[in-house]
Amino acid sequence: GAVNMPLDQLSVDAVKTTPFERRFNPYDFNGGTTVAIAGDDFVVCAGCTRMSTGYEIQSRNQSKLFALTDQTVLTAAGCMSDVTTLRRMLGARLTQYEHSHAAAMSSSAVAQLLSVTLYYRRFFPYYAFCMIGGLDEEGRGAVYGYDAVGSFKRDDYGCMGSGQNYIMPILDNLIGHKNRLDEKKSFTAEEVVAIVKEIFVIATERDIYTGDSVEIKVIRKSGISTEVFPLKHD
Amino acid sequence: QESGLKIRYPLSHTKTMAFATMDLSFLSDPGVFAKGQHAEDDDARGDLQMARSIDIQSFPLAPVSSPYTFCEDVRKHGNAPGLMDFKHGTTTLGFVFKHGIIIAVDSRASMGSYIGSQTVKKVIEINSFLLGTMAGGAADCSFWERHLARLCRMHELRTKERISVAAASKLLANIFFQYKGQGLSCGTMVAGWDKKGPSLYMVDDSGERFKGERFSVGSGSPFAYGVLDSAYDRNMSVEDAVELGRR
Repeated sequence: GAVNMPLDQLSVDAVKTTPFERRFNPYDFNGGTTVAIAGDDFVVCAGCTRMSTGYEIQSRNQSKLFALTDQTVLTAAGCMSDVTTLRRMLGARLTQYEHSHAAAMSSSAVAQLLSVTLYYRRFFPYYAFCMIGGLDEEGRGAVYGYDAVGSFKRDDYGCMGSGQNYIMPILDNLIGHKNRLDEKKSFTAEEVVAIVKEIFVIATERDIYTGDSVEIKVIRKSGISTEVFPLKHD
Repeated sequence: QESGLKIRYPLSHTKTMAFATMDLSFLSDPGVFAKGQHAEDDDARGDLQMARSIDIQSFPLAPVSSPYTFCEDVRKHGNAPGLMDFKHGTTTLGFVFKHGIIIAVDSRASMGSYIGSQTVKKVIEINSFLLGTMAGGAADCSFWERHLARLCRMHELRTKERISVAAASKLLANIFFQYKGQGLSCGTMVAGWDKKGPSLYMVDDSGERFKGERFSVGSGSPFAYGVLDSAYDRNMSVEDAVELGRR
């Protein structure tokens, strides 16, 4: 019946006969997964580069990691438009801070700034699930995880985005050393990068929004290094 | 501005005369009580005046017909999966006894059906003699208690005297009253020492404020009340009190 009708007639009839609602919907879930792991003197931040909407892929090469200073990286998954605006808000405040203090903002100060910036939109939130990775005042790695309105907490590791439910248990076990009987060991930056690559391969297997490639940034006292590791494209 | 308040004016003439000289601007702007008298001075930072003041008009609202229920509507329709699952804290309790106040909190936070964290700090140090607890929305509690810390500090600097717990809890309650109905979720206890000794107030996201000896807030509170009521004794020692809080 309806399948054989020409397309324009189909839509006109649908408007006339079926009820539908119009709703202001500013949000779009663009998918993606981000991970951040802190070590003794480094932080590894990683995010897959796939950007999707619904069941379509919009870009295979959209970064989710943003270096705010040379010791702090913001990782944000969710809606890319909100993430971009959030980045610009933060960037403006950071630039003002640098001009008036003649020094870059410390990671803990950036973490608090992001929390307040997110909370200023408490009634119309940014659709961004953020984490901040950076070195604290003593040079130890710190990861701060946020919810959508700015509640944050310092952690040793964190993971956000569509693959969160697949990855978090692995991080809890490997990095958090939960429910393990062997002795806890501290990892070097290279070992953590290898773990992160494996984790993204695992997440790509089951999560449709994760894949294409993973961008990995390692923050050390000397600066930030970046690496891109390819993942499955399907 | 519809606030739903019904104010009845006394009809006697002497009272009316007194009213004529009072500043009744609070009737149209209940936020006055939440800010303190010197709010404009606080917010002006000279050349760097770029941080928005914490004012009800300054929180951007969604351009929809009912902006205050926007978050709930988005959650119900599932257009933004996971967005409106804010972090929630679960159980906190506090009680006053002879030697002071015990505050006991658990450390789990949930985000929807996901356990957001097992190591959340739910006790927020407002200043060195005032503590606030977090139950309900984690971001709401930590943001407004941090704001309260700022107001308390300004009070201390202006009056050269520490703020009383009653005044601090009143400021917080007025802030929540201002945002009543907009979806904030907070059940917090303000505890501290002032000139009157230890005081414990429970402040709610609807602007309710109660002074009391024993409170428990959160999803585990009925169970916590049971344990607390059975073993509470005002004259117990510090060790016993800590043990009771732990239980």
